[in-house]
Amino acid sequence: MTVSSRISGDGKELIIAIDDRFDFSLHQLFRDAYTSITTQDLSYVLDLSKTEYMDSSALGMILLLKDHVQLYAGQLTISKPSDTVRKILEIAQFQRLMTIE
Amino acid sequence: MPRIQKIALVVDDSKMQCKLLSVLLKEEDYQVIIANDGASGVQMYIEHQPDLVLMDINMPIMDGFEATRRIKKLSGEGTLAPLIFITSMDSEQAFIDSVDAGGDSILVRPFTPKVFKAKIKAMQRISDLVDQVKGLQLEQQNDAELAEKMMSGVIEARNFALDKIGTIKKAATIFSGDIQLTALCPNGDIHVLLGDFTGHGLRASIGAIPVTDTFRAMTKKGFSILDIVAQLNRQMFTLLPGDLFFAACFACISEHEKSAYIFNAGLPDGYLFDVQGTIKQQFVSTHPPLGILPQLLADAQVEVVQVKPNDRLVFITDGIVEARNPAGDLFDFPRFEQAAIAGIIQKDLVNNVLRSLDDFCENCEQEDDISLVDVPCSGWQQIKVSNKVKIPEGFTEEDNYFTLAENSLPTWSYHLHLTGGLLKKVNPIPLVMNQINDLEGAGEHWQSLYTILTELFINALDHGVLGLNSSLKNSAEGFSQYFKERANRLDLLANEDHKVSEDFVGIALKYFPLPHGGKMVINIKDSGQGFDILDIFKDNSIAMNDGLKLSGRGVELVNQLCDTLDYQEQGTLVTASYIWHD
Repeated sequence: MTVSSRISGDGKELIIAIDDRFDFSLHQLFRDAYTSITTQDLSYVLDLSKTEYMDSSALGMILLLKDHVQLYAGQLTISKPSDTVRKILEIAQFQRLMTIE
Repeated sequence: MPRIQKIALVVDDSKMQCKLLSVLLKEEDYQVIIANDGASGVQMYIEHQPDLVLMDINMPIMDGFEATRRIKKLSGEGTLAPLIFITSMDSEQAFIDSVDAGGDSILVRPFTPKVFKAKIKAMQRISDLVDQVKGLQLEQQNDAELAEKMMSGVIEARNFALDKIGTIKKAATIFSGDIQLTALCPNGDIHVLLGDFTGHGLRASIGAIPVTDTFRAMTKKGFSILDIVAQLNRQMFTLLPGDLFFAACFACISEHEKSAYIFNAGLPDGYLFDVQGTIKQQFVSTHPPLGILPQLLADAQVEVVQVKPNDRLVFITDGIVEARNPAGDLFDFPRFEQAAIAGIIQKDLVNNVLRSLDDFCENCEQEDDISLVDVPCSGWQQIKVSNKVKIPEGFTEEDNYFTLAENSLPTWSYHLHLTGGLLKKVNPIPLVMNQINDLEGAGEHWQSLYTILTELFINALDHGVLGLNSSLKNSAEGFSQYFKERANRLDLLANEDHKVSEDFVGIALKYFPLPHGGKMVINIKDSGQGFDILDIFKDNSIAMNDGLKLSGRGVELVNQLCDTLDYQEQGTLVTASYIWHD
């Protein structure tokens, strides 16, 4: 499974982690990871520490996640991207749109 | 709709079997053809292209397995003609071998006519599905080809000065989500765009036409790069769904200013190379791709650099640096830069980069669109200065525009008074040019007027209202410092929004028609302290010889284009008149 998601012990965070390649083939899996979550004020963490490659459709998928997060007044953080992935996020200037740590 | 009768080919050395199967097939409305050995079976297949093949296994000359292998090899490209083995060899091995040879099914004797017909029906169903998929594929391919044709044939063929710009464009699917545009500004500057829509194929192409229309129309009307970027962003935000966006790099190259204005929203670094291939500057992405945010970020700014005539601007999309070789390594930036530099030295950047990319990828499947634009910083169309002094044949005394009475009345006049924050937000020149076009129609001669208005307005704003000293622009460091300071002071102006501002620029036009042309008198007044225009001219004539001077060229140019040019009220009021002939 290349997309995994879990709610943290205290129920305040939804952590979505992507392994290996983050591209259009994960479209449905990625959506499924959050669409049913409608809790208000939740923190969403997109864990990219194990993501080795990401393409521009993945950026689009992150934007859809961001729309969902905003709809339910949550917070979105991208966590620990590798250097390659960070570079792609920076070219798209995503740090201007969301928190990257 | 009645369909043409389907053909079934029966290959069996037993005449008895052939007859039996024929009867059953005819009951199912097939036209039946018969071969009695494998070899003639293959021959009949080639001649008649049947819709269904029934194959025996043990036959003289060529057995059923071999015949099947040959037939399947032949039918690889076309539609699926289901092939069923009919045999009395009821063994596991026979079943495995017939599938291996390319058979689609096997029917073991004895069987009842009902079972046989059910089998044929099932196979036909599969074959219909295959036809349907093939049809859809073809349709999709036609659509993609149409989109491709539209893109290259209609959109990009209308680009300005195609021969001067080097481009690489290799689409991953048949249609490329990448778009390359060039257009000529009214004052002779050139606008360049390299953009990349998310995704590939048709999905990536929906934005291409609106982007092209807006880019061309706004460039033609004289809007600045930042105006165009802001408009494209708004447009893409409304048009594109949430996960689609448009990463793009924009440039305005001004030959007479010897500068380039660059805006990179979401593409890899753009490059400025000198004639030796040295990287003079890189332009990093400073803004998210267009179509994500409803408006540009407040601090969105174009980067301004000075350029030499032999410099080149090169923009790339991520497809180049993310191309992979069979080992999975990325082509990446160092390899690209090396290839580009070598290419510049050999005076063929495009082919050098292409070769290097091909060598590296070794026919690996291309995952993303690959595109590049290579734009020289000079050699663009020169502004026509001549139309002001050209006296047409048949020139008569009554045409003598120099005798135009001082007190004659204009047919129309136009005033625009911009204050405070509006000076940052609004570019008045396209507004003014629109008025002129509406009142007097479009025409070549307005190009010079556009240049005059732009230069005089910028002077009034920069040196008047903002109090910037143009001598700053004489050095390379000062040049960028000048534009940084300009942006800061404009921000201060913008913050004055809430109160009535004392800062202003006023533009007034008066139009006097002439028998074979017209005269436009332009007044521009600003709220600044004024500046000594003579100093600028003096500086310029000294600097003319060394060719290094970066500032003041604007006024020089205006002086050449105008009939008269007067600075009054300590340089805070300028009056220019522009006369042309049809």
